[in-house]
Amino acid sequence: MDVGPVSLASVARINDLGGTEGFGPIDTSESSEPFHADWEARVYALVFALLGKGLYNIDEFRDAIERLPPARYLEASYYEKWLAAIETLVVERGVVDRDAVEEAVRA
Amino acid sequence: MSHVHTDEPDSPAHRGRVLERLLEEAGVVTGAELDAFLDRLPATSSPANGARIVARAWSDDEFRQRLLDDGAAAIAELGYSVGGGPAVVLRVVENTEQVHNVVVCTLCSCYPLALLGPSPSWYKSDAYRARVVRDPRGVLAEFGYFPNEHVTINVLDANAETRYLVLPRRPAGTDGLSEEGLAKLVTRRGLIGTAAV
Amino acid sequence: MPEICRIGDRVRAQARDRGGHTRLPRYVRGHEGTIVAVHCSSLLPDRVVAGDAGDREPVYAVRFDSAELWGVPGHTVTIELWQSYLELP
Repeated sequence: MDVGPVSLASVARINDLGGTEGFGPIDTSESSEPFHADWEARVYALVFALLGKGLYNIDEFRDAIERLPPARYLEASYYEKWLAAIETLVVERGVVDRDAVEEAVRA
Repeated sequence: MSHVHTDEPDSPAHRGRVLERLLEEAGVVTGAELDAFLDRLPATSSPANGARIVARAWSDDEFRQRLLDDGAAAIAELGYSVGGGPAVVLRVVENTEQVHNVVVCTLCSCYPLALLGPSPSWYKSDAYRARVVRDPRGVLAEFGYFPNEHVTINVLDANAETRYLVLPRRPAGTDGLSEEGLAKLVTRRGLIGTAAV
Repeated sequence: MPEICRIGDRVRAQARDRGGHTRLPRYVRGHEGTIVAVHCSSLLPDRVVAGDAGDREPVYAVRFDSAELWGVPGHTVTIELWQSYLELP
């Protein structure tokens, strides 16, 4: 694990955005509604329900988001990332089968 | 985001529904418990909670001091909890004539949900997370906020288990206001630090 | 794990990446800051995710000057760092 004298100051995962150039101006618009669509609220509730049941802890949840392919991480909306992270974790925990998810999605 | 076709198989709405059904079939969650969680959300997770805490701090100097010393204990007096489990700590940071605080989470989107509600889109945006640690004045200008030149901007990166709540400066000319009246002046942006109040 | 630093101490964030999940962002790596608070004691997330949680360790709030991080004066950045992320300058 010890990398010795080599500096790895700039090696990081895609989620490590602090200081990154090129994102342009911030969309500062405000909404009084916490969610843009019902599915976002369902995903939000699901993340906390599974966390509460101990299916994963907060570190494992963050890690699952960070493990998304970099292009997908930047492209996906916030709650799309959350949904993808739950899918990853429930499959890895053996709660549901990856093929069963894809089959049910296409059904 | 503006043209998501919710009926397409790969739409998040569809995938989310499917996943919820599979988890229900696996006996892990029930739709009813998710419904109940979401029904409670406006009361348990809202910027009105943060605003009430600030209004009390502006009205009661001893409470203000307790809030700065031990955020969790002080908000418990008002019936609030920062939530998130025993590891999560609340730290209230006070704006002064010399220092203005602004909060971000560069690595994900950590946020005091219980006191501020689900976070606004801009807080979670890549642009805000990337830029505010490097150019806070440029970012604040995009929010229409221009702190005085002599003020030091302190950016707080909420990368660990501490959740930050900014205690804005009480606006001038509000001496006659009740706590309830003061709470109405406090905005979500003020509690994060992208506005003065 | 006992605290090895106190408020006011100068510390340097390690300039390394352990691979995998971490809460040590690259923009502070290799830079020096000052400890302004000792917030709590908690498990190192890197090890939690690796399945070897280890002991709880001190988490410090460390304040960095913008001149140190970005080469421009005028602001500070305060971030929390687990003891394992720090070294003495």
